[in-house]
Amino acid sequence: MKMPGDKPTSFVERIQTIDRRILYALIFISVIVPLFLPLKLPVPVTPETRDFFNAVEALPDSSIVMLPFDFWPSTMAETEPMAVVGLRHLFGKHCYVVGLSNVGMGGPTIADRLLDSIGGEFGRIYGIDYVNLGYKPDYRAVMLGMGTRISDIFPTDYRDTPIEDIPLMRRVPNYDSVAFIFIVADNVAVDYWVGLVNARFGKPMGAGVTAVMAPKNLSFVQAGQLIGLMGGMKGCAEYENLLERPARATRGMDSQSMIHLFIVVFIIMGNVGYYAGKRRAARS
Amino acid sequence: MDSVWTQPFFYFFLPAFFTLAVYSFLFKDNPWFKFAEHVFAGLSAGYYAGLIFTSVIKQQMIVPLVSSGRWDMLIPGVLGCLLFMRFFPKVHWLTRIPLAFVIGTTAGIMFLQQLHGLILPQMKSTLLRLGDFSNIVIVVGVLTTLIYFYFSKPHTGALGGVAKVGIWFIMVAFGAHFGYTVMARVSLLIGRMQFLFVDWLHWAQ
Amino acid sequence: MIVAFFGTGDMLADFSNEALRYMSIVAGFALLLGVISITRVSAGVVRKREKDWPHKIVLLLCLFTMAGFGIFQGITSGTVFEWLFENIQKPMMATMFSVLAFFIASAAYRAFRARTVEATILLITAVVVMLGRVPMGQYVYEHFPAVANWIMMFPSVAVQRGIIIGAALGAASMSLRIILGIERTYMGRG
Repeated sequence: MKMPGDKPTSFVERIQTIDRRILYALIFISVIVPLFLPLKLPVPVTPETRDFFNAVEALPDSSIVMLPFDFWPSTMAETEPMAVVGLRHLFGKHCYVVGLSNVGMGGPTIADRLLDSIGGEFGRIYGIDYVNLGYKPDYRAVMLGMGTRISDIFPTDYRDTPIEDIPLMRRVPNYDSVAFIFIVADNVAVDYWVGLVNARFGKPMGAGVTAVMAPKNLSFVQAGQLIGLMGGMKGCAEYENLLERPARATRGMDSQSMIHLFIVVFIIMGNVGYYAGKRRAARS
Repeated sequence: MDSVWTQPFFYFFLPAFFTLAVYSFLFKDNPWFKFAEHVFAGLSAGYYAGLIFTSVIKQQMIVPLVSSGRWDMLIPGVLGCLLFMRFFPKVHWLTRIPLAFVIGTTAGIMFLQQLHGLILPQMKSTLLRLGDFSNIVIVVGVLTTLIYFYFSKPHTGALGGVAKVGIWFIMVAFGAHFGYTVMARVSLLIGRMQFLFVDWLHWAQ
Repeated sequence: MIVAFFGTGDMLADFSNEALRYMSIVAGFALLLGVISITRVSAGVVRKREKDWPHKIVLLLCLFTMAGFGIFQGITSGTVFEWLFENIQKPMMATMFSVLAFFIASAAYRAFRARTVEATILLITAVVVMLGRVPMGQYVYEHFPAVANWIMMFPSVAVQRGIIIGAALGAASMSLRIILGIERTYMGRG
């Protein structure tokens, strides 16, 4: 009679009890091999990403767009490429960008770096073409307060310049001058952008969110509260391809394909082993 | 000539070191991981201290007070300081004052946001023409899900049957959510591998 | 906040705006509570020479270094504060979450079993979405992307909407209970 602790003997038992270190090694290999041997598979575009792209593309040049960098550094593999592709699209259209962050840990720092870096690619000037308002606590208060007067919540920008001294911010007293809100988020801030700003002030908005949040936010897309959605690294890769500037997210898609295939194969193997084991136990 | 310290290997050495220190936990807990863990905790707390001092105390309180004579900015400052009374047992009750203010304001905002911003628009967009199969799926899915989560009556009879359909819809949604969760976690791993092999070691493109 | 929403006059609107401003500031002070707590606890461990006390010295050193540079030098680009964040904190945060990929794959392999009808529905949907949402999926079965799209936009949206409505009703009723004074647990005992 088999006892717990006995080594697995049959093939059925062995495929159900593969050492986790072998699993980790296989996961590692399936992620890095495509980095060295890219497959360059085409990335099909989903309707929600296309709608997002088209909405931004349809903005008149010189529109003022608000871009909240509402993400933690822990998810930046998904969210930072979204902010980058969004800034490239907006600066490429000569839009003006008002950046801010509702995430204290790292949000304003990342916003500052990305705005300067991508703005520099297009020759944009801080204070005239873009600004980083920084971070203020309690995103509900921030989102509602900006509806009346941005200077009430942000008396200065991230770099300590009084708001009234910034040329771009003289044109943006509140949401009235903002044509579109391009949200990049990895937390429930999106619910408040939708529930407070879109509902009360009627601002059109689209969101780039992590894949974990995408299923929920598709409800907002279907209800028309969000114009479009970038869901995870795949959504960002789709947007990069629509913009014809494939970048980090597109290059990550091959690894994503490999590892998904690998996980599906192992789920199937585990279930085959489970059912084979059940049949064997029933027969004996 | 570029300094050797600007070469990717050295420029990114510190982030790569801490990345590998965290990954070492996959083998087992070790002193490098513990060191990295405590550095992280210390820097995170220090980050918040620096950020709040600059963004809140300096920019939101001191600047309006000095430049516009807004002495009323001391009021939230005092309320904020009352929060620190929780560290003194004898005057611990003073923390209730700022708490009541924050919770009362938040309750008012939440009430409006949930009703006006979420419930009504979501319900409105569920009122769809039932001529299309996909629309029927949405309407049936929303209703059966809501009925499943109604636990005030036992799920027997007709209610039980409808709740059963709700469970099937929920399983489809959870399966989809699991697929997206795997996608999300894997993306984070891909990001770190891109940093190690592309940015740091320059072994891949 | 609720009455001001209905646009009942400038005075109430001004009061509401000031309340929002004050709330942001008070929330900032609340964030400092955590910093003070961790300092007190770590200092206590070091003072009493409890387990891991050398690590707590590392923690406190890093805390005061980061806070000191942030307060005295500033937090914008080009400062030591920003350098420490970009080169140490940010990579570690990203790495800690990336470790989950290994755990989720291992858990999916070990625990994901189609034992019941419901579990089978969940498993099949997960497989379809995982393959339908990556470029390779269309080469495994050409209709995977379209099926995954339909699942995400219809049955999944329906359930997520049901959950959003249910949770929002709960949150709205809890807010009303707080406003009416029925719910006072946030005040603590006494």
